[in-house]
Amino acid sequence: MNSGLLQAFSHWFTIGANLLLILGVIFFIKLPKEKKANIQYWLPFLILAFTVFYENFGSYTNYNYEFKKAVNAYLGNTEYPQFNLWLFNIARRQVGVILYLLLIRYWLQPAYKKYMNWMILVFIVLVVVLQISGVEPLYLNQPIIFAIGANLILIGSGLYFIGMITRDQYLGRNPLRLVSFWQMTLIMFTFSLNYISSVTLLYLYAVNPVLGKALQDLSYVMMLGTLAVLIVTIASPLFPDKFEKEPSFEIS
Amino acid sequence: MNPFEDQIYVIIFSTLFLGGLMSTFVVAMVFIHRQRQAQNRQKLDFIKSEHEKTLLNIENEIQHETLSHVGRELHDNIGQLLSLAKLNFGSIKPEKHAAGRELLSQIIQEVRSLSKSLNLDWVDEISLEDFISQELEKVKSTGFCETSINFETEFSNLKKDEKLVLIRVIQEILNNAIKHASPNHIRISANQLEGAQHIVIQDDGIGFDINQNSNGSGMFNLAKRMETIGGKFDIQSKPGNGTLIKLTLSS
Repeated sequence: MNSGLLQAFSHWFTIGANLLLILGVIFFIKLPKEKKANIQYWLPFLILAFTVFYENFGSYTNYNYEFKKAVNAYLGNTEYPQFNLWLFNIARRQVGVILYLLLIRYWLQPAYKKYMNWMILVFIVLVVVLQISGVEPLYLNQPIIFAIGANLILIGSGLYFIGMITRDQYLGRNPLRLVSFWQMTLIMFTFSLNYISSVTLLYLYAVNPVLGKALQDLSYVMMLGTLAVLIVTIASPLFPDKFEKEPSFEIS
Repeated sequence: MNPFEDQIYVIIFSTLFLGGLMSTFVVAMVFIHRQRQAQNRQKLDFIKSEHEKTLLNIENEIQHETLSHVGRELHDNIGQLLSLAKLNFGSIKPEKHAAGRELLSQIIQEVRSLSKSLNLDWVDEISLEDFISQELEKVKSTGFCETSINFETEFSNLKKDEKLVLIRVIQEILNNAIKHASPNHIRISANQLEGAQHIVIQDDGIGFDINQNSNGSGMFNLAKRMETIGGKFDIQSKPGNGTLIKLTLSS
């Protein structure tokens, strides 16, 4: 096999993410039909598959420089043809954020769901406006868009925690045995640390590469942790004695 | 220390601070959840004990009424029948003996029906509609006022204790109407709307000011009783305009 291709895919994060996807696929296949059709299970699976897809695609762009250069040129970036930021901007900071917001929205009570709908709508509009106006081009770092996305995710997680301490449906349960609780906690930590990591990365790599790499590795660990929690969510119906049933707001 | 080092320390400090802040937030949320969970459990225990107390009171009231009824029946009905039977059996005429035997059969029937009313099994056996019909028939038979009933829903899903509470609340409302309202007509209807069952008790009596304390405390007790079975009690009344009471039970 081509050694360059092997090298591009041999990063521990890429290998870990691919292994997690295999686990996720196995658990998802084992789910009963009605669970597979339930958004509680297919949305985490979609996020897992999408994340692993774009991470692998990112690795491929590092291997195929000509492809990366062509896409950058198409987007109007001839200055930094080695960047593949356009991929991570679209996948992680825009589509990824919307998918996580939808996941958070699923766990919220109906009143808060309305806020989440508006938040998602506002986020989409802002992303389009910031990119079309040229404030944050698609091929460069997009700190404003990521900051907005990370803050919306923090607000969404906050709404979940407010529901957790006020709603009767949650007060009757042990949060430490709810997958939604661990999802919210991991998503909140991952997006906050990813945000710090992304805005300081270029600077740190120039000034203190060791610290930059450490911060980047921390982000990778958090991302793997989030993917692992998504797998736990998918697998939770197969281990009913380990987790409590999630509260439902549909009946109340 | 050079400015680069300063900035690096700021980044490290910011990262640690943010991580610590979020950890504290999550731990605090779990802690608050635990506290509220304990409070919620206490509240539920209190509601449960209130429910049990209400049920006990209702059972006592029904037993007291039943004993009064049994006493009255023994004295006014069975006692009279036994005296008549004694007279018949004391006669030398054979036809009187036959009449005495008929009276004895009647007495046996009366005693059987009385013994049935001594426990609360009748609550299971009778439907709510039949019970209300009987109560209204009693009111009508005294010549006090006219009554009518219109049931568009069945209350077959009620548990025994829920039915008992509902029966007592309706009895109390009817007693209040008879004692205080002087109505010409009492109407009871039941229907199902938007996933809830409603019983409406309406009279065309003198009505009252629902803000007056003297009437309010009785109504408060009825509302509390309805709450113990997860129901609602609503009242509308004005002096001279009759009274409308709505009992709501979520299906």
